[in-house]
Amino acid sequence: MSSWRSSHLLVNFVGSVLVGLLVLPIVVLIGVSFNAGVEQVFPPHGFSLRWYANLANRQGFLDAAKLTLALALGSACISVLVSLGAGVAITRYRFPGRDFLLTLLLSPLIVPQVVVGMAFLVTLSALGIFNSIVSLSLLHCVITLPFALRVVVVALQVHPASIEEAAQSLGASPVRAFFGVTVPQIAPGLLAAGVFAFVTSFENFTASQFLVWDRTTLPIAIYTSVQTENDPTAAALSSLIVAAVIVFIAVFNRFVVRHMLAGRT
Amino acid sequence: MALVLPALLVIATFFAMMSTMVVASFSPADAVQGIRTYTLEHYRRFLASSFYWGYLTGSLWISLYCTFITAVLGYFIAYFMFRSSSVVRLVVGSVLIVQFFTAYVIRSYAVMLLVGKTGFLNQTLLALGIIDAPLRILFTQAAVAIGLVQVSLPFMVFPILASLNAIPTNLEMASASLGASRFKTFWTIVFPLTLPGIAAGVVVVYLFELTSYIVPGMLGGGYADMIANLIYNKAMRSFEYGFAAAAAVVTLVVSAAIVYGLNRSFARITRYAR
Repeated sequence: MSSWRSSHLLVNFVGSVLVGLLVLPIVVLIGVSFNAGVEQVFPPHGFSLRWYANLANRQGFLDAAKLTLALALGSACISVLVSLGAGVAITRYRFPGRDFLLTLLLSPLIVPQVVVGMAFLVTLSALGIFNSIVSLSLLHCVITLPFALRVVVVALQVHPASIEEAAQSLGASPVRAFFGVTVPQIAPGLLAAGVFAFVTSFENFTASQFLVWDRTTLPIAIYTSVQTENDPTAAALSSLIVAAVIVFIAVFNRFVVRHMLAGRT
Repeated sequence: MALVLPALLVIATFFAMMSTMVVASFSPADAVQGIRTYTLEHYRRFLASSFYWGYLTGSLWISLYCTFITAVLGYFIAYFMFRSSSVVRLVVGSVLIVQFFTAYVIRSYAVMLLVGKTGFLNQTLLALGIIDAPLRILFTQAAVAIGLVQVSLPFMVFPILASLNAIPTNLEMASASLGASRFKTFWTIVFPLTLPGIAAGVVVVYLFELTSYIVPGMLGGGYADMIANLIYNKAMRSFEYGFAAAAAVVTLVVSAAIVYGLNRSFARITRYAR
């Protein structure tokens, strides 16, 4: 029995240390953002919110935040709607090449982001499109679709068509049966798909950086700020985003966790 | 089929852009407008020079050992969660999910603040008297390795935890009641059953680490560039689109081959576990 206890202690000890190491950088980041001086040190020297206040003066961050949120919301909505259409076709109808179609639609998942960015850069510059809002909208719709589609397909597979068919046999039109029966059933799945698409778009850096001609996104603005400036403003902004993520997860947890393993690579 | 049409439109856009890139990778750098000629000069330049080729082999190597470290640490965390009370599991799970959803830029920046010259790590070691001068970790390959492992750990923990949770509890009891030691039960019963989870994690993490841009960009600071940094610099700093496109095509082919190869060999190893 003593060997059982000692191995149990070992697992607990090593596990706790590893989890501590996993959290440590984020703790340091939040600590740094409260520095009173310009040094980025942890534990912070003094306590102040001046770097948070400083964010209000940074028009570049504000513009980037607006564009990033607009891109994330827009591409998430479009991807969920497009995935719903494709998901219904793939799970509810039989037609030749159905599996191949799903593989095809999910194939962007295995293409590295840097390759996707390069492909967009070459194509759009050949077409003479140097407008970041247009290019990034197109890019974010393409990269969020497979993430949303995968979750929507799983949600549709879990809820079989039989209930929808029952509604139809009781006289509901196919459209009414779909929107009155199936959509409410898979609503948590649609929400989860939207959350994954939103986050994928929000945090995208590697592909987006090829297309920031006249506007930039938040992750790229943070990266540039870290490379060129040496004060805790970027830490304050990053801490705010971490706080937003924590609130976001607290709200959406029960939708997201269930789809976690189906959701993202 | 009207329902799939929008999705097909999106995917067609994607493939059209990929093909444009492939065409660009075969187009001569001094192409004359209106005349289509094809060349292998970019591929020859990439594959002939060990300087360029080195970015790819270097990336393959660092992501290989980082994936191994990630797998070992990820297994520990997953096993710790599996063995813990539901409260601990909730706390650790929340930590991992927050990590999972926080942008890579922010997590890399946080690691930078940790390992920098005046960072928390150096200050702690100095205060404890373990070192006399700050260690140079930031802007070396070690910092990139730490960043890669830190950023990709959640991708490894979740599939392993899922495969641990799928093991019926009475299997371990049966093994113990037949006289197997705790370690023997783990090694001959539990571990083989989690191989599919490890395999799934390894494929995702290797592909992710191989082509990461932010971690080497931020923590390597130009001293430990990986293949994605080469592609970006060639395209955006020296505007050699053809060469960057060729490097991107090679990267795509290599990573697709790796995913295919790993999936094939894991399918053989984990045949009995499923």
